[in-house]
Amino acid sequence: MSSVRSWFTRYALQLVVLAIVIVSMYALYPEFRVEASVERLIPLGVIAAGLAVTMIAGEFDLSIASMAALAGALTVVLAGNGLIVALLIAIAACTLLGMLQGWAIATLGINSLVFTIGTLVLIRGLTWLVCGGLAISIDDFSASDIFYGRYLFLSPLSITALCILIALGVFLSRTRWGRELYALGSARPEAIAAGVPYRRGMVIAFGISAACGAVGGGLTSALSGSAAPNGLESMLVLGIAAALVGGVSIAGGRGTMVNVLLGFAIISVLSAGLAGMGAKAFVSQLITGIFLLAIVLAEYFIARLGEHGNRTRLKQLAEA
Amino acid sequence: MTTIQGSTIGFQDRAGYRRTMNGIRNSTLPILIVLVFIVASISVPQFFTFETVRAILLATSITGIMAAGMTALTLSGNLFSLGVTASVVLSGVLYLRTANATGSIFLGALVAILAALVLGLGQGFIVGLGLNPVVVTLGAGAVIYGSTAMITGGEVVAAGSRDAGRFATFAVAGIPLPVLMLVAFTAVAWFLTERTTIGRDVHLVGWNKDTARNSGISFMATTIWAFLIFSVGIGIAAVLQVSQTLQVQADNFPEITMNVVAAVLIGGTAVTGGDGSPIKSVIGALFIATTTQIMVLAGVEQGMRYFVLGVVVVVLVITLHLLRRAGSR
Repeated sequence: MSSVRSWFTRYALQLVVLAIVIVSMYALYPEFRVEASVERLIPLGVIAAGLAVTMIAGEFDLSIASMAALAGALTVVLAGNGLIVALLIAIAACTLLGMLQGWAIATLGINSLVFTIGTLVLIRGLTWLVCGGLAISIDDFSASDIFYGRYLFLSPLSITALCILIALGVFLSRTRWGRELYALGSARPEAIAAGVPYRRGMVIAFGISAACGAVGGGLTSALSGSAAPNGLESMLVLGIAAALVGGVSIAGGRGTMVNVLLGFAIISVLSAGLAGMGAKAFVSQLITGIFLLAIVLAEYFIARLGEHGNRTRLKQLAEA
Repeated sequence: MTTIQGSTIGFQDRAGYRRTMNGIRNSTLPILIVLVFIVASISVPQFFTFETVRAILLATSITGIMAAGMTALTLSGNLFSLGVTASVVLSGVLYLRTANATGSIFLGALVAILAALVLGLGQGFIVGLGLNPVVVTLGAGAVIYGSTAMITGGEVVAAGSRDAGRFATFAVAGIPLPVLMLVAFTAVAWFLTERTTIGRDVHLVGWNKDTARNSGISFMATTIWAFLIFSVGIGIAAVLQVSQTLQVQADNFPEITMNVVAAVLIGGTAVTGGDGSPIKSVIGALFIATTTQIMVLAGVEQGMRYFVLGVVVVVLVITLHLLRRAGSR
């Protein structure tokens, strides 16, 4: 019983925000359907999970949206060999690229923001080359039909995304390699001194990040049957918003896949609801931006209050 | 860079080694630019024409002004802004609207720069609280983009008359105004960051935030100053950019943010803060503009240009990082 309560207090802020968002969407727009809205943006959830993993490890992967676009382009180009095969090849290639990126960051000891902003441009360029500079599409229109089935109430897409989130959640909290990422994110010098291998951590974190980006981008392209060289750019800001709104800490070491799921639910309900009401895409960008700023500010002030409370308590202890 | 590690035996040697490494680091980019010019003038026949050089300088001036401004931000340890494009577009829209409404391009430019300053002030304040600058500017960029699209209804804002383009076409003794503005703004940014108390604070905060704070330097005030210097650059660059295109739409100029960040990074300003100069960033912008222009002349396609730019940024960033590490040993 107490574990259930601690679970609720841990995610209280996000649960309240999610409830408010859902209720206000239903109030403003009675035909609103939560399931439909979440369904449309599932690739975003996977991308947010990837960003969360690097944030937990105390790093930042700005190249993830480019990686998603590259995977999308590869999927479409290779679709002649069967869509699933193409998807798997694209994901494997991007994961390798991500692991290489993590290895380079660890070996060079370079700031990951700087390195990934370079690779952001580089991988986007690769995507242009793969696409041949044009928006491309799959010739066989029926190829993406396999994604439109329905098992119980879940689509193949949401099953895939859920499996990925659960697998990542188990990996992060139950395995040694996953826990090492938390250690590297929350107290890096201490973790390294205690024998946590820094390079392996970076390779794993950026490998997972790239794989998630690739799954998100690949699925988007497989579903729509098309890819564009400049596509999916907004996934970076939406993904960061989802991860941070969900409560993953940008300072590293804090956050779970439940946070990602909640953040994703908030952002997707919000933008799908706005789109359903007939608002243009830029309105949802505007609202997402406001949400992102509001949540980082809220987190900052809550941390400040907590610090203040701690200090007062210590003072009282000292006086007693 | 001044930390002395290990014993002082062979200190003279090491100091010499450090100087050499830092010398190599500071001269890498100028040498590369000269090399690129030499290679280009041999392999691309129409390279050294008036038109080409003018195009390179014009492209450099707009990116360069913003890169010089962003250097103040990077120097203060606040990394870089990922919301440049959104601010440029909003300032550009306000410039055209005001110029169309009042008929005065100077009033338009004033409104554009003031708008950029207000946006910078807001972002500077939030970052000054101690929040991550990349996330804040990314979020603010989304908000500004959304607001601009709402103000314009997603439509194209066009200049009422050719007069609005006078800032781009005006020239003194054959030198276009944007290039003069680049020189003037870089000089001001250099003076502010190197020769004033504000600049000293910016360097110190970037070098070691905690020590600076303990010495009584306000992180908040310094960060806001850095954002304000940057924002003036954004305002000026927006006016010059829109004066060239004579129209602007909410989703225009998506490449600006990356070009400016790339110019600062390959210019050699340390992203950890405290070390660098606006002049270096302008040289970075010149390098990007030159390579892009050469590829355009050589008929390289856009995808390939983007890819080459990415490779150049990654390779230079790694090289500069390794040289800096060698220089601080």
